Amino acid sequence: MAEDLVTVTIEGTRISVPKGTTIIEAAKQVGVLIPHYCYHPSLPAPAVCRMCLVEVEKAPKLMPACVTAVAEGQVVLVNSPRAQKARTAVLEFLLINHPLDCPICDQSGECELQDYTFQEGRAATRYSQYSKRYNPVEDFGPDILYVTNRCILCTRCVRFMSDVAQTPLLNVSERGDRAYIGIDPGQQLDHPWSDNVVDLCPVGSLLSKDFLHKARAWDLDKTASICPGCTQGCNITIDTRDEAVVRLRPRPNYEVNRHFMCDHGRLDYRWLNRGDRAEAPLIRQGDRHVAIDWDTALDRMGEVIREAAGPAVLLASGRASTESLGLVRRLLPAEARAAIRVPIVDEEAPLAGVPNLALRRERIPNLHGARLLGYDTDWAGAIEAATTAGLVVLLDPELTPEEEAALATAPGRLVVLTTILQDGLRNAELILPTTTMAEENGTYVNRDHRVQRFLQAKSPPGMARPAWWVAGEVLAGPGPDADAPTSAAEAFDLLGESWPVFAGVTHAALGLSGRVLDVAAPAAGVAR
Amino acid sequence: MTAAAHPPEEAYQPVFVGERRAELDDLFTKYPTKQACLLPALWMVQDARGWISPEGINEVAQVLELTPAYVRGVITFYTMYHTHPVGRYFIQVCTTSPCGLCGAEETLAAILRETGCLELGATSPDGRFTVVEAECLGACGFATPILVNNDFIESVTPDRVADILRGYV
Amino acid sequence: MGFPHPSDPRETVVLSQYFGDPGARTYQGWVERGGYQALKKALGMGPEEVINEVKASGLRGRGGAGFPTGLKWSFMPKGDGRPHYLVCNADESEPGTFKDREIMRWTPHALIEGCACGAYAIGAETCYIYIRGEFTEPWTIMSLAVKEAYANGVLGADAMGSGKRIDIVLHRGAGAYICGEETAMLNSLEGRRGNPRVKPPFPAVAGAFAQPTTVNNVETLAAVPHILNRGAAWYQSLCRGNPKSTGTKLFSVCGHVQRPGNYEITLGTPFSELYDMFGGVPEGRTLKAVIPGGSSVPILTADEMMNTVLDYEGVIASGSMLGSAGMIVMDNTTDIVYQVMRLTKFYAHESCAQCTQCREGTGWTSRILQRMLSGQGSEADLDLLLDLADNMTGTTICVLSDSCAAPVVSGIKKFRSEFEAYITRARQPALIAV
Repeated sequence: MAEDLVTVTIEGTRISVPKGTTIIEAAKQVGVLIPHYCYHPSLPAPAVCRMCLVEVEKAPKLMPACVTAVAEGQVVLVNSPRAQKARTAVLEFLLINHPLDCPICDQSGECELQDYTFQEGRAATRYSQYSKRYNPVEDFGPDILYVTNRCILCTRCVRFMSDVAQTPLLNVSERGDRAYIGIDPGQQLDHPWSDNVVDLCPVGSLLSKDFLHKARAWDLDKTASICPGCTQGCNITIDTRDEAVVRLRPRPNYEVNRHFMCDHGRLDYRWLNRGDRAEAPLIRQGDRHVAIDWDTALDRMGEVIREAAGPAVLLASGRASTESLGLVRRLLPAEARAAIRVPIVDEEAPLAGVPNLALRRERIPNLHGARLLGYDTDWAGAIEAATTAGLVVLLDPELTPEEEAALATAPGRLVVLTTILQDGLRNAELILPTTTMAEENGTYVNRDHRVQRFLQAKSPPGMARPAWWVAGEVLAGPGPDADAPTSAAEAFDLLGESWPVFAGVTHAALGLSGRVLDVAAPAAGVAR
Repeated sequence: MTAAAHPPEEAYQPVFVGERRAELDDLFTKYPTKQACLLPALWMVQDARGWISPEGINEVAQVLELTPAYVRGVITFYTMYHTHPVGRYFIQVCTTSPCGLCGAEETLAAILRETGCLELGATSPDGRFTVVEAECLGACGFATPILVNNDFIESVTPDRVADILRGYV
Repeated sequence: MGFPHPSDPRETVVLSQYFGDPGARTYQGWVERGGYQALKKALGMGPEEVINEVKASGLRGRGGAGFPTGLKWSFMPKGDGRPHYLVCNADESEPGTFKDREIMRWTPHALIEGCACGAYAIGAETCYIYIRGEFTEPWTIMSLAVKEAYANGVLGADAMGSGKRIDIVLHRGAGAYICGEETAMLNSLEGRRGNPRVKPPFPAVAGAFAQPTTVNNVETLAAVPHILNRGAAWYQSLCRGNPKSTGTKLFSVCGHVQRPGNYEITLGTPFSELYDMFGGVPEGRTLKAVIPGGSSVPILTADEMMNTVLDYEGVIASGSMLGSAGMIVMDNTTDIVYQVMRLTKFYAHESCAQCTQCREGTGWTSRILQRMLSGQGSEADLDLLLDLADNMTGTTICVLSDSCAAPVVSGIKKFRSEFEAYITRARQPALIAV
């Protein structure tokens, strides 16, 4: 549709973009980031910070790039002396009342005020004779503090709550340089999606109590991942410091979660840092378990599976990767029963302003991957079947004490792949240490059948390995010529053999925003 | 600003009942949205109670299907709504440039003196008056204009102040 | 009759004819004075005809911007099936201006008639008159008049028997200068903070409640019935040589003058004539400076002012703007530095807080001037003030920021020595150090 394209020149580079595109978005496409504060691609643009003023040839005034649509033949100058002076001026105005407390500010290192000031702010203040405005810190809600003094009134938080969450719990109060972000004293900022205001805040004004003074931004390692909190599959970044997960933040994906994630998903990460981890393969000797090496463990596992008589049951966690669920499933005969537990909680918590985005009732990330791989969700039935089965394989499921007791006294042979030390299953022939989703590469399939990759964010403890690796090794059999997958990508390639819906899809093709599986295609389905 | 302590409102009596509710319902028919009735509704609360209490904010929010935080954001934008109790007579004195040229500051000083208000924004010890500076009251040809509650009084000079205040007991 | 002074023979009395005449306030009184003839006439014409008549008259917006009224009306979409709104801007709060107040106080039905004509012309069934909260007396008078107009069939479902619905709703502001900016007014009308909106979209496309809307000033609308009654050619003939500026205009005169008040004169009248009408500055004083268009426009010196022709183009030629024609007159006793500071304090108080330059710049500018007045200024402060003013001009959503910068720039440019006197302490501090 060439007629809908408009050609403009931005900082000397010509580009054709769809009609209606704003200058700020068009500039991104030629690699020019126009400095801005109030603008955010997932919020309505109020054009109030005036940071994105650019010079448009023939226009008498500087134009706000965030709300000015491109026009045919337009020439945009982002770094002209006029535009630059205007930005330097905005920075100066913002800084006259902004405290220089970067050394104790959580935002330091990822602060847009810091970055742009460094880039083109004045070297010294001209506001030296006056004291800065002072207001105390406000407690906004369960996880949010408002450091009034640092606020630059960009109003992103207010617009998020009113236009995206559609629950206006925040306001701009007062006028002029007395203005601040307000909340009703009788209410709290406790909306299930409210922590997004912390990400949206371009400075350190809105802070997460959970992350408060936990780490400096430059000490964090950032890894692309998928939220394991529910079937929505929000794209996230896992921030780690010294092998500990310290923060989850949303990563933009316009098809899934735009720029947002819910507070439940964001704050439920401590299980990734648990200390009571299974760290070595254990084998049962008499009434106790002893540590062994992986080769021995894998050989033994192959034997157990081959020797077991009677029906087999696989009980898996919905947090397991598609690769692990698939390859472990393949260890067992086609008629084996495989199930995952689906924790169901309350009602959905939708983010009103974004279609098809909610904290889902099913609080596991890979329900739909498991379904495609032939798992059912009749957990009670599967536990029941396990108590009479000849072989039971556990893939890191969370068991209730009753379930554990039932399995501990079941007659069948028991193999446990687990992230957590298991004391109750004294009868397990093997207890094999596996990795959490933060310690491995893999994929989840969300509720729209979008396969999305997550990457390894921290090292596994001890000898823990991904479950797909364990299963892959066992499937390939012993010996130096065995063709076991050596990466999650290779493990994923194997899925297509048994489940055609995955055929032809590769990790490389998924990229970091995933791809929707064609589950309606005739070749799809759960046939093995 | 010194605000008098909020008097305890044991049981908040809703404003929008009876005639005032009917008045509000009539207002709803004049605008395409309920939200548009926010300024009028706030005026109704202030006219009825002298100020807009937190309970009043909640009531307005409820009848207009807004959040209290939203209502607060709007209230604090406008200078004429009181979010704390004020004296029986709330006096606004214009001191903007045109009136300033004509002696508004002397008039303001006289008003502060005569009312017994110790400073701007403070309520007089007898609870009668609260005096504030107002920006341009739009009667620059009649310097200095003052507003005593809803009474607009023109051409106030320091020597007239005592006389004028006698009318407000 | 003028008000509060008797009208001067050199005035051209049209809008102000009944100022000071309480008899004109009632419906009956208004009809006896020829009221509602124009509305009757308008309702008999096609809306397009009304617009053309107003276009031909040359009437321009009297609120400050001076945009041609008929042209503004013609921007309203036709036959779009959406509700249209007329919003009358009665939020008069530009320091130095008090003309709309007098129109509403003395001739409320003139405004109602003008609003009804305008609403009819732009295809609006509803007209909101946004009256600033402090205007308690105009509010009461307008409320009575609207009630009377309904009772007499002027307004309502069948306005004057035309079969057309015309409603007028009074909406009370609550203390915010910026609500006089048309898009801020629309936000306020909708029950929001009075923040100016980004344009485009312009009100004619998406105004009140996102529907096509025209915003007109009180004086503009009040002039419309006269144009319809007497014809565009008559209105155009009220002109002193400049065909772009026609008709009469109310000049609010205040400050250091003998006879403050509103003077209705034909556009194009030299300031020197108006000066005679209001009697000049007090006995024994001399004229020093005038802010000719409400506080938001550049200050003119006595010489500049005395050579100014009072119409849209004439005041621009002198280096300022006609604005709302609120004349703030200052005599030789005036401390310009203090007055500039006081104006910036006003803008700092009224800044809505949206745009960075305005929110922070107005307050900073005012603080520098206060410091200067307390004897702590430096020569560098003057450059800083001018640089801040430059940064605050043409960079924000509305012009409040520019308005704060205008007196600073013109003040320093024209009265620099007064600023320097505070800096060198040749002049005693006017304020206590802060």
